Amino acid sequence: MTAVAGTSAGASPRREAGGGWRSRLLTAALVLPVSVWYLLLLVLPLAIVFVFSFGVRGPRGGYTPAFNLDNYANVFRAVGIDPFINSLWMAAAGTIGCLLVGLPLAYYIATRAGRRKGLFILLLVIPFWVSFLIRTYSWFLILDPQLAVAAVRDLFGNPDFNVLGTPWAVLIGLVYGYLPLMVFPLYVTLERMDRTLLEASKDLGAGRWATFRQVTLPIALPGLVTGSILVFIPMMGEFVIPQILGYGRTFLVGNALYLDFLEFRNWPAGSAKAVLLILVMLVTVTAYLWFINRGRRVREASVL
Amino acid sequence: MSAPAIPAARTGHPVSRARPVDRLGGLVEFWFRGHTALVYAFLYLPIFVVVLFAFNGTERRVTTWAGFSLKWFEVALNDTVVQKAVENSFWIALPNAFLAALFGTMAALGLQRVRKGFRLGYDALTYVSVIVPEIVIALATLIFFSSSLDIINPFLASLQGDAARPFRLNFGRETVIAAHVLFNTSLVLLLVRARLSTMDRTLVEASYDLFATPWRTFRQITLPALLPAIVAGFLLAFTFSFDDYIITTFTSGPGSTTLPLFVFGQVKRGVTPETNAVATMMLAFTLSMLLVGQLVLRWQSRRRGQKGSVAGIVAESAG
Amino acid sequence: MTEQERIQHIMRRPINRRGFLSLMGASAGATALAACTSPAGSLAPSGTAAPSASSGGPATVAPSFEIETELLTYNWSDYVAPENIETFKQRFGVERFGYDTFASNEELIAKLQGGATGYDIACPTAEYVAGMAEDGFVQELDQSRIPNLAFINPRFRSTSWDPDNKYIVPKDYGTTGIVYRKKLVPEPVTSWKDLYELTKGKYSGKTVVVDSMGDVFPFPLKLLGYSLNDNDPAHLKEAGDILLELAPHIHSADSDTYQVKLANEEALLCLGWFGPIVDLRADPETEDTAYVVPSEGTLFWLDTWVLLTGAPHPNAAYAWLNFIHEPEIQAKETESNGYATANEEAKKLVSPEIVNEPGIFPPENQLATLEESFDHSGVQQRADIWAQFKSKIGG
Repeated sequence: MTAVAGTSAGASPRREAGGGWRSRLLTAALVLPVSVWYLLLLVLPLAIVFVFSFGVRGPRGGYTPAFNLDNYANVFRAVGIDPFINSLWMAAAGTIGCLLVGLPLAYYIATRAGRRKGLFILLLVIPFWVSFLIRTYSWFLILDPQLAVAAVRDLFGNPDFNVLGTPWAVLIGLVYGYLPLMVFPLYVTLERMDRTLLEASKDLGAGRWATFRQVTLPIALPGLVTGSILVFIPMMGEFVIPQILGYGRTFLVGNALYLDFLEFRNWPAGSAKAVLLILVMLVTVTAYLWFINRGRRVREASVL
Repeated sequence: MSAPAIPAARTGHPVSRARPVDRLGGLVEFWFRGHTALVYAFLYLPIFVVVLFAFNGTERRVTTWAGFSLKWFEVALNDTVVQKAVENSFWIALPNAFLAALFGTMAALGLQRVRKGFRLGYDALTYVSVIVPEIVIALATLIFFSSSLDIINPFLASLQGDAARPFRLNFGRETVIAAHVLFNTSLVLLLVRARLSTMDRTLVEASYDLFATPWRTFRQITLPALLPAIVAGFLLAFTFSFDDYIITTFTSGPGSTTLPLFVFGQVKRGVTPETNAVATMMLAFTLSMLLVGQLVLRWQSRRRGQKGSVAGIVAESAG
Repeated sequence: MTEQERIQHIMRRPINRRGFLSLMGASAGATALAACTSPAGSLAPSGTAAPSASSGGPATVAPSFEIETELLTYNWSDYVAPENIETFKQRFGVERFGYDTFASNEELIAKLQGGATGYDIACPTAEYVAGMAEDGFVQELDQSRIPNLAFINPRFRSTSWDPDNKYIVPKDYGTTGIVYRKKLVPEPVTSWKDLYELTKGKYSGKTVVVDSMGDVFPFPLKLLGYSLNDNDPAHLKEAGDILLELAPHIHSADSDTYQVKLANEEALLCLGWFGPIVDLRADPETEDTAYVVPSEGTLFWLDTWVLLTGAPHPNAAYAWLNFIHEPEIQAKETESNGYATANEEAKKLVSPEIVNEPGIFPPENQLATLEESFDHSGVQQRADIWAQFKSKIGG
């Protein structure tokens, strides 16, 4: 379900010449590893989660077999729907932030960096080989109210100015942490952009914005879609960055899940919340992709 | 106005490389450069702080500066626990990246040939693997592994008769790798598919028209075109695995503590600059490898009379 | 030389596996067990009338316990002195001492409940051990193999967590109390009531609580005069109301960086532990940081060693459990960890500045107000209150 909502109707007869069964064998071989992994490490564990969601907390935590819908009925009982709304806002803001920061960057690297493209890409990920926690603690230090922030405070004469504990700190942390997930998909699509199209567009008198809208954007679209999904979805479950940099002042879906699975060790309750979240997000992603792809007719022929 | 496009069938990239993409106005150009520079400054600012505080002479707490000192480097070099953690992190992340890149690419290619219904099913699973919160999949995977081991190990034991110390499967690096490969394969799959959707099929058709075998077509047309996505996916998969905490916590076994586990564990007692020292050494190692590679290639290519660089090679393969 | 001197002479030689075996076989009766104790200490347990765990019965440790070459432990980070590990490895011929870390009890329990295996020894906090035992994760201890348990302060034996001493080898203990910046909070802070008043009033937004349900609930419960293990719905509701009333005034729930917040004055008061503020006390700018055990009373926690079911290297595990409570060894632990040891003999060997620090070793007069806390994570009402509390923090 990338931006290409096509059929494989474009398969050339020549490719079938090797014999239907050989072609099918190749296909099967190609998707075998991912099938095995999805089956064993995704479907089965999720089946476990699904079963758990109907169960009851064990006397010391964990799971006891049962069949009731209490967990689903109780999903919103304690804290309401607020965590979900909060997460939505946070993920949306974070995704937009990543987009604003990441799109120009991806465009520049893909089209401007020339020979140094690879270097730029490598330099983009190297910071993430430094442990997440000390990176985040560094932000904690950089934004320390007694250091740089205090200087800003003096400069603008606003004694209440603070970054840590506010949504801005969270936004900084989120964009910082998720940027590669937005930039990489954008880069791999932008990089293939046929430059002659842009030249042609110019030659035909289109302005920069029109060129961008009608040439660049449609080409970058698959990358944009992938990037926004890869950023938005995990952000829905994010809670560590808001906890550290935002002082945990917003209660998020991730907090609720963490409480259920670790603090209360109530796996059935957590499982019910997780199943609901997965369903809601799946519907959201499907709607998003359908919306993007309507009106796009692209024939997807196999490249093999 | 512009040089004619040079079809380069080898890389499938119909453009002369040396020319910038589109000549935008000077101001816009400046803005792009500035933005890029700012972003990299933003990315490396905390890293700079991390490195700086590796030289912090404080006793324990990382957040006050107590003079310049190399002692934490000494601590790190003597600490076998943290060294093992780094080793584990690396030997989990690297195989995981290879497997994810391989499986993801294969799947991306294969899924094009699959009937629409099946493809939608796989797509759904791919997105589900991204949607599932980490704590949920971590715990569920742990349960799956332990249930499986409860079945497999007695079976293995019965096969080995009465060996004194029968071989048994345990939690360890392998279980962590297996768990990481799931998410990372989806990642590579998504990246490669995004790239595939931009691919020019006419080249493939042309290749077949010229009687190239499927394998040859793949090797000379498709693979080079996909390589940036595969390399990008590889890098991302490595990074995720290297820095992962929750899934690793639940699927690891004795002796497979990784660097993130070590660091998170330190929080309760106070993160010391030892972690900063380790990070600094890792960064220094990585960057110097990069530099060495760069110099070696430049020297090599000078001998052959061409310009070359590590970045160039990567860029070449990146199209 | 007397039997005692002979044994002490033998003990001073480095013991490898065979030496251990021959030593076990060499003596008979209670002396053999006593010989396992530290060469430095007297053979009889220390002054306080401690029922000797090793008394009675012949020294039937005759089945030879070949100590394995590996020991796999699962512990908090930095919780064992590295030199003790080295000494252990050399003395017992253990080549590989695995030290894997977890960051919270919850992770440990969740892993065990999920089916993780492979470790010999783990270090949970006592309140979880009963549950672990019922779930079959820990083995009953053969006390005769750990004669050094005789050195443990009797207050920490036969606790409500483990009345028959079947599972627990005590490690360190401590309390949860109030930490605050004395210089910046001139008002007296000696009780939960003070914390309540100050948080609600003058220092609103400047109080941090640790992010742990079990450590925060004692605050309102004790404030109201109830036991911290009280699960009466009416009492819990009262306690919940207090927490929800305070929630908007709380700066954050943070177990890991509250010492940083105290240092940069983001927070002035904290419901927390003593350990993280040791560095603050050493720094002249923040040495005014004080730790108080509230007058209404609070919980004391006990970290423990347990032997996990299915431990692959039980003999090495027993050797370790006994070794770690040799007074000299245990004293080194305390010096390196900075937490109070439950081992009375070892306490005598610890430097006075640690022993006399009320934040580490609660004074006698306070011991009476300390209550053992149990695992109430399954009490739905508590869970709901906690979730609501967390969602309302910071307004």
